[in-house]
Amino acid sequence: MNGLANPAISVRNLRMGFGSRVLLDDASFDVHRGEIVVVLGGSGSGKSSLMKTIIGLHDPLAGDILIDGESLIGANEDQQAQLQRRLGVMYQGGALFGSLNVLENVRFPLDRFTGLTLAQKNLIARMLLRELEMEQAEAMTPGELSGGMLKRAGIARAMALGCDILLLDEPSAGLDPITAANLDRTILSLRRNLDVTFLIVTHELQSILAIADRAIMLDPHSRSIIADGKPEELRECSGDARVRQFFNRQPDHE
Amino acid sequence: MAEDITVLLEGRITAFSAAPIWQTALESLERYPDRQVIVDAARLEHVDNVGLALLFDLSRRGAEIRALAPRFAAMVRRYDPHAFALPVIGTRSQGAFEQVGRSVARQAAYLRELVGFLGECVHALFHARSRRLLKWGDLLDVATETGANAVPIVLLVGFLMGVIIAFELGLVARQFGAVIFVVNGGAVAVLRELSPLMTAIVFAGRTGAAFAAQLGAQKVNEELDALSTFGLHPIGFLVLPRIVTSILIVPMLTVLADVVGLLGGALVMTSFGVSFLQSYTQLLGAVTSWDLLLGLIKAAFFGLTIAAVGCHQGLSTGAGASAVGHSATRAVVASIVLIIVIDGVFALLTS
Repeated sequence: MNGLANPAISVRNLRMGFGSRVLLDDASFDVHRGEIVVVLGGSGSGKSSLMKTIIGLHDPLAGDILIDGESLIGANEDQQAQLQRRLGVMYQGGALFGSLNVLENVRFPLDRFTGLTLAQKNLIARMLLRELEMEQAEAMTPGELSGGMLKRAGIARAMALGCDILLLDEPSAGLDPITAANLDRTILSLRRNLDVTFLIVTHELQSILAIADRAIMLDPHSRSIIADGKPEELRECSGDARVRQFFNRQPDHE
Repeated sequence: MAEDITVLLEGRITAFSAAPIWQTALESLERYPDRQVIVDAARLEHVDNVGLALLFDLSRRGAEIRALAPRFAAMVRRYDPHAFALPVIGTRSQGAFEQVGRSVARQAAYLRELVGFLGECVHALFHARSRRLLKWGDLLDVATETGANAVPIVLLVGFLMGVIIAFELGLVARQFGAVIFVVNGGAVAVLRELSPLMTAIVFAGRTGAAFAAQLGAQKVNEELDALSTFGLHPIGFLVLPRIVTSILIVPMLTVLADVVGLLGGALVMTSFGVSFLQSYTQLLGAVTSWDLLLGLIKAAFFGLTIAAVGCHQGLSTGAGASAVGHSATRAVVASIVLIIVIDGVFALLTS
């Protein structure tokens, strides 16, 4: 994209919350091109809200979010919409449109925003579905898909407009271990083959260790980022007891 | 040998910029089918997945891509040129004759399915009676929701129908000095046709749709499966109370519509110079209890039809968020059509 100087996503001194309830204060981190970064934290720590803020669905209370070095917060509505289109989002359940089949779901953004012919759009959609190992399911409707397939189709649709920054909300939630591992493998292959950058919200420990270059941990009590680093290093030698507790899957003390 | 044709690709090709470039390149390929088309990608800076599809499409159509950055070349090579042959989809256009035939066959199949469903319900009814599965409480719940709560709208519609038909008839009858006979015509129309029909249409819109939506939502939420695992068959447990109640409730509502309809008619008659008492005595001579009874029998059949269609649509709801709405719509449309058909059959049988 626009040189490698700018991080794909840059969160600067972000404060977010609802009214007087602050979920996160003065949080800063970057996601660089080609990285797979996971955001983790216990329930209620604001993981999903952080993602919604980055997409632009929630306004932050303070701070800024930069996509490819361009500010999302200061931009006017048109610029904001353009920046948002650079981010592909997969929602937890795939959020596919129930009245369309898989191919039509993936084609939907292309139908809306490009002047391509049907054959061209179908080719693009089928190439994406192949990347996600979904080419056999193109004629199925969302109601007929399993949880893993819904997520794959959701990723394909998120990528249709050439988004190479993907935000995934809980990709392994509700999946059996094998399906979740397959999805991890697909995420790695997308990064390898198509240079996709990932910001993933999850708390699936195995998946984090398998795919993440960096893990960012949110803490609801201090309302801040308490860890930012390689997952293996955080597990072994984080200075913070809460981080080690998470990575070693230990219960709270009695 | 003819000269090669060169297509120049430069800058960034993304989803938002690809359409005209792709179009031009394909035109070059089509215009010179016997010449080698060279795609010069030396100045190509970036492609996204759409640009990638463009490169792949040109290369599988026989264009030679030169000077493509190795990164992108590797991406294009990952796709098998023969893997995306467009499947031929059989969209043979149907003639008018075929369309009519197909839709008739579809409707016939639907009716057959509905009759089968009714058969299942009757079977479940005998089963339920022997096992005391049909509970008064269930019936009363349904009756309150579908009957008592529908009284105001039925009264309003019934009253207005009586007023309107008496007024229309009165205007014509006045020209012939036969205003008093409006009572005869209006009363027969109200008792035999208007009240049952309008009550049924209100019931279809209010309750038929609700049945379809309730059962549809329960099916989507797998509640029906949960019931089945308790050994409670959805037809016995959910459908029967609704059908039995509807068969009883629609005639009751029709009686109300009859009363207010006749009242509304009599009210209009006073403006034509016919007093209440005159209307009343004329009415006694004009209609028989058979007129009333026929209307109520029809109403019972309408109730059966509406509840059966609504429940059947609910139980055959597909998956997904839009399926429930679709079922509700189909329930209303199908039951109103069937109501009119049944009304016609009654008109033929009782003429």
